Amino acid sequence: MPTTQVPTATREPLWAKVIDHTRCIGCHACTTACKSENEVPLSVTRTYVKYVDTGIFPQARRSFQVTRCNQCDDAPCVEACPTTAMFRRADGIVDFDKSICVGCKACIAACPYDAIFINPEDKSAEKCNFCAHRLDVGLEPACVIVCPTEAILVGDMNDPLSAVSGIINREAVAVRRPEKETRPKLYYKGADQATLDPLAARRPDGGIFMWSEQGDVKHQVPSGHSGPSNSSAAALLSYDIPHRAPWDWRVSLYTFTKSISSGAYLVPLLLGLSGMITWTNPVWTLLGPIVAMIFLMFTGALLVWDLDHPERFWMVLTRPQWRSWLVRGGFIITAYGGILALHLGAVIGGRPEIPQSLAWLGGPLAAMTAIYTAYLFAQAKARDLWQSPLLPPHLLVQALLAGSASLILLNPIELGVGAIWTLQASLAVHLMLALGEVSMPHPTAHAALAARNMTKGAYAAFYWGGIVLTASALLLMSANVTIGALAGLVGLFLHEHAYVQAGQSVPLA
Amino acid sequence: MNDSTHLNELNQRVSAAKAEVEGRGETFYPGASRIHLASFPPRERWNDWVELDSKSWPEKVEKRYMLVPTTCFNCESACGLLAYVDRETLQVRKFEGNPEHPGSRGRNCAKGPATLNQITDPDRILYPLKRSGRRGEGKWEQISWDEALDEIAGRIRTAMQEERHEEVVYHVGRPGEDGYTERMLAAWGVDGHNSHTNVCSSGARSGYHWWMGMDRPSPDYSNAKVILLVSSHLETGHYFNPHAQRIMEGKKNGAKLIVFDTRLSNTATHADHWLSPYPGSEALIFLAIANWMIREGKYDREFVRRWWNWQEYMEVVNDEPGASFENFEEHLREIYSEFTFEYASTESGIDATTLLEVAKVVSTAGTRFATHNWRSAGSGNLGGWQVARTLTLLNALLGALATEGGTFPNSWNKFTPRPPRLPHQHPKGWNEVTWPREYPLSLMEMSFLMPHLMKDQDAHLDVYFTRVYNPVWTNPDGFSWIEMLSDEERIGLHVAMTPTWNETAYFADYILPMGHASERHDLTSYEQYNGQWIAFRQPVLRAARERLDEEITDTRQVNPGEVWEENEFWIDLTWRIDPDGSLGIREFFESKKVPGEKMTIDEYYSWIFDNSVPGLPEASAAEGLTPLEYMRRYGAFEISNKVGRVHEQSVPDNELEDVRVDEMGRVYSRAPIPPSPKAPGGTKIDDDEDGRRRVGIRVDGEILKGWPTPTGKLEFWSRTLHDWGWPELAIPTYIKSHIHPENLEDDQVPLITTFRVPVQIHTRSANSKWLDEIAHTNPLWIHPIDADRMGISKTGDLVRVETELGYFVLKSWITEGIRPGVAACSHHMGRWKPEGHKGQRLGISTVALNQEGSEWSLTPRKGGEPFASSDPDTMRIWWTDLGVHQNLTHAVHPDPISGMHCWHQAVRICPAKEGDQAGDVSVDTGKSQAAYEKWLAMTRSADRYSPDGTRRPYWMLRPVRPERDAYRLPLETEPAEV
Repeated sequence: MPTTQVPTATREPLWAKVIDHTRCIGCHACTTACKSENEVPLSVTRTYVKYVDTGIFPQARRSFQVTRCNQCDDAPCVEACPTTAMFRRADGIVDFDKSICVGCKACIAACPYDAIFINPEDKSAEKCNFCAHRLDVGLEPACVIVCPTEAILVGDMNDPLSAVSGIINREAVAVRRPEKETRPKLYYKGADQATLDPLAARRPDGGIFMWSEQGDVKHQVPSGHSGPSNSSAAALLSYDIPHRAPWDWRVSLYTFTKSISSGAYLVPLLLGLSGMITWTNPVWTLLGPIVAMIFLMFTGALLVWDLDHPERFWMVLTRPQWRSWLVRGGFIITAYGGILALHLGAVIGGRPEIPQSLAWLGGPLAAMTAIYTAYLFAQAKARDLWQSPLLPPHLLVQALLAGSASLILLNPIELGVGAIWTLQASLAVHLMLALGEVSMPHPTAHAALAARNMTKGAYAAFYWGGIVLTASALLLMSANVTIGALAGLVGLFLHEHAYVQAGQSVPLA
Repeated sequence: MNDSTHLNELNQRVSAAKAEVEGRGETFYPGASRIHLASFPPRERWNDWVELDSKSWPEKVEKRYMLVPTTCFNCESACGLLAYVDRETLQVRKFEGNPEHPGSRGRNCAKGPATLNQITDPDRILYPLKRSGRRGEGKWEQISWDEALDEIAGRIRTAMQEERHEEVVYHVGRPGEDGYTERMLAAWGVDGHNSHTNVCSSGARSGYHWWMGMDRPSPDYSNAKVILLVSSHLETGHYFNPHAQRIMEGKKNGAKLIVFDTRLSNTATHADHWLSPYPGSEALIFLAIANWMIREGKYDREFVRRWWNWQEYMEVVNDEPGASFENFEEHLREIYSEFTFEYASTESGIDATTLLEVAKVVSTAGTRFATHNWRSAGSGNLGGWQVARTLTLLNALLGALATEGGTFPNSWNKFTPRPPRLPHQHPKGWNEVTWPREYPLSLMEMSFLMPHLMKDQDAHLDVYFTRVYNPVWTNPDGFSWIEMLSDEERIGLHVAMTPTWNETAYFADYILPMGHASERHDLTSYEQYNGQWIAFRQPVLRAARERLDEEITDTRQVNPGEVWEENEFWIDLTWRIDPDGSLGIREFFESKKVPGEKMTIDEYYSWIFDNSVPGLPEASAAEGLTPLEYMRRYGAFEISNKVGRVHEQSVPDNELEDVRVDEMGRVYSRAPIPPSPKAPGGTKIDDDEDGRRRVGIRVDGEILKGWPTPTGKLEFWSRTLHDWGWPELAIPTYIKSHIHPENLEDDQVPLITTFRVPVQIHTRSANSKWLDEIAHTNPLWIHPIDADRMGISKTGDLVRVETELGYFVLKSWITEGIRPGVAACSHHMGRWKPEGHKGQRLGISTVALNQEGSEWSLTPRKGGEPFASSDPDTMRIWWTDLGVHQNLTHAVHPDPISGMHCWHQAVRICPAKEGDQAGDVSVDTGKSQAAYEKWLAMTRSADRYSPDGTRRPYWMLRPVRPERDAYRLPLETEPAEV
């Protein structure tokens, strides 16, 4: 028999919000109410209102965007978090637990909306969580109750009768960056593409907005588009907050030290397998693994140093969130370190034949040590430049480059010609892949701008320095191997820094 | 107990959700989301509310709070706040809105929650300070309240004993209260009220006043069909949050929104029709719309016939007594015929088609036409008062006054209750410094001319209070203020009553720390919709501790340091002025219950709530509370909703006794004034020759209440303006602004200096870190065409702006959001303290202040920077640019009628010169005298133009109205010659 019953909410709620920009007056009440409710310090914010001025006088207008966490159904921050400090509740809220945050900033790198920050007081990641502590006791979030024009609504998407469901299901709404496939649960009604697209509006000159400074903070990501913006209509960013990139030079350096560590083991192994050196060659038995071990320790130290909670680094291993490449990488590195220890232990303990058998594990682990960072970077879903299928092989090539160059610098005699060939080949491939960033168009505006920042913008000196040194290394190898290797290594580091920083240099909000 | 069990158990105890709350028989406050979540905890639980701590989350840490209402003090809106007082620490954890407040309905703007910053401001003034060096030298010593009170009271007492009452002046910026201080000044018998209104809203007020006898509009936005706003009422309006709510509500109900704003504001963004006129042309556009409506017959003839004073106009101006309404209509068509769309288009720069389009929209509104002008054009231009006057002409044509969806006069949507011991006496003297005879029609005191008037009159003030008032910074020509304040011959004693450091306080003898919004008592009522309410500001920690049965007898017991509040201060001071009652002042501050004792704050407000607030005693009794307890618990009370057309109400029979109706239909009666719970106030209409009081106006045979104007009608034509020397301006018409292109040199452009940003409030909010972080500088807005013409290549380039008095230097903001040929610079910013001075660090630059004769300069030495304090956040300040103090370079521009300072400036803009740095200011105060005299020459002084030998029309509004005799001009003045 047909039923006349209207379906009602039967399941666990699925919380969503609607920001109604046909009502928002850009007053910033939500900003300060949130600061107050959640005791958010200066210099960071869980929510703010971005302004973009569009049009030509007298047909001009100002568009607003209440900017904050999107409570993604497929939240990249949750996937990237090594310790489940970022987690999705059954009711759809992406919440966080500061007591287990290690401060790795992978969530920040992952978030396509730049909605997460490290709180300068407790050094842990935080963001909007829909005021879960209020929802759970039957209260609306602080920004909802303060809003003079009722432009912010919260509701249950599983309840067809809620106002939020009505708007989401029946009206023209938009989300930010749907192409990131995060399925946001923050819906904008009446928002302008000029605000939703972080690159639609031009960045004003002179370091100011209409009543504030653009700021000059550490590791800042300048807001707006530095060049001609994505929008063909006149669009000018007129209010924004200073944004910061999550990973600084320590992460650039970590990729470099890790390449050396990985390559210092891999190169002798490959030379051994190809018969170019013997299994008793000290480069394979001792030198390579020692260099690998030392640089692996450097790598680990840099990783821990980069944590805002270095004292909690062990949580990555003790409370692993297995989808996180930081966790996977942590275990790969640990296992690789274990193999290196066994290798060296065996050699020092007088059993030089054992390393050869260990190589069945050591080889793949060294390669994974080199490559996993590509997956870690790819997990930084926000960073289009890093979403490259060529990155894993490129990192492997970089490892071979770094490994061969390091060993050449240390021991040119016993290494033989194989290492030089390896270095030459990896320099050539690396050069080709690196130049691809200038010669190939990029698929998204974000990646294009990142590449532009890398090749023509703030990181051009590093990038072109890297290219020139790499090319010089290739040329110099025939004349002076040591200088060639040195140039190759420095060039690689410069490239890494340009690549890692430029990848984070594009505004997301 | 695991998390979810804990949460279930907690929710059984305290959930604010609908089912649980209603299940417990408590109040559910529905929120914007219209779901089961509440916007606020049920009021039955405000005494002990449990919330989960946001910082410990996701660990469920319970925090217990007392929720104590108070009233925000960060603008005039007086929105409700709920202080969350931690029951453990007895400190305020946060401020939310108060859902019991009828005006703000639980919501706030950014400045509401930021009240927390102000009370925890690490640099706030906590103790009374007395200067120890030269005035203005910046040396202070902490003193006791007793010491300060005794010296101040002693001087006032002497002045009174020596009949120098006019040497005591109380100069108030934001009053934030209704009636308390005016009552006190009346009790003192001192004509010493001085306000900020003539740098704020006098222009618009004046325009409303000439029509209605009431000086403020109260648009019923929610029910409007067409809303017309002059300026940015959505995000920076006078009643910002309460009005923004209702404008948006009206818009969502289908109202069309028309916005006049030369600058692209957030309000302009939301407009269906955004008009960016050349500043000063607004009134002309309204006249063109009126002309079109009149010609097309698109007006409410019945309303015009019944309620305009057209008969008087026809009789006096046209010499046609007994003219028919049709005659008048014919005449009306004629007098406005010159105001064509083409003319308006030429003056405003907006094409005639657009103007016609807007006129058509206006004409569809019927009586649902809600309009508002407060500051903006009304405050910017010479003749700016005609903006409100011509805007009201549109309302008056449509009959959209005091209608649902129309615009009400403020007094009908406001309720100021009668206080106890209301003084019946009026000051005997007349303060010529505040009410000079050259400006007999000024709506309020000529406050901003003080330095010039004091000099002209060689006047001396013995005791000068500034309270929440910062003339050195806010007023035009601030260096002249410094010169005046530094001169001990002019100002005997300057007492700055302020919660925060400000530029004027540097030049005080005493700085008395007064409380912020949650640290003081005040009673307010504001016209924010078609209804009336009162709201009670209170020291929330006092209320909280009283709930815990502590006895608090003085607000200083709960405030930080020795911060006090004005209410108690004035009582104490008055007792010290008149310790034995011999001056006849003390009695007004004496307890009614315990004669011979000081009246307490509890008694003062109890009396008001018991006796003067209709419905409150009953509402309180229903909850088993006294009215004072009710107000301490809920903070606000709505007295009426839907006031309706008061002018159409019949005069009750008991007010009609020995009635006489004059030839103009004015009805006079001998019936005594019936007792009213409202405080007396408003215009003062003359009795008839036999001493009968005017009670109403006869319209079509009915005796109706009418309007509080001399005619009892809406005054399309003002006999007062006509008789006092301004016959050509007696009807709504167009006055060319001082920045009209005809009045500018070729290389000058108008500068709009008045615009506000949504997150700051004049000079009161620089101590709020959250607000400063959002907005901290004020670049010059210019259009790309102008920038190009002036040689400014890109945003951020330094420019020099030259005014009549000097120049200032700032960054440029090149934007499509402003009319080409016009520049704009927001105020709020450019706050400073002199090098070596004590004061606030947040949001305040340190500057070098130099004077050589009349040449002054201000040079920033240090902008924003991190600093160590009790608040770790001050180390995280990341912004450095704190803007420029432009008002220093403005000359005084008093409108000869309204008295309003006409803020717009004629300026020259050029790229900065060598050596210029952002924030530089240079001024020659010698030039300010010339500017003052130029504007003075436009006046028509009472000496020459008063029709009856008085200083000012007696009927007009006036705070602390002196005795009628004081209105007489001294005898030596020349007779009127009109």
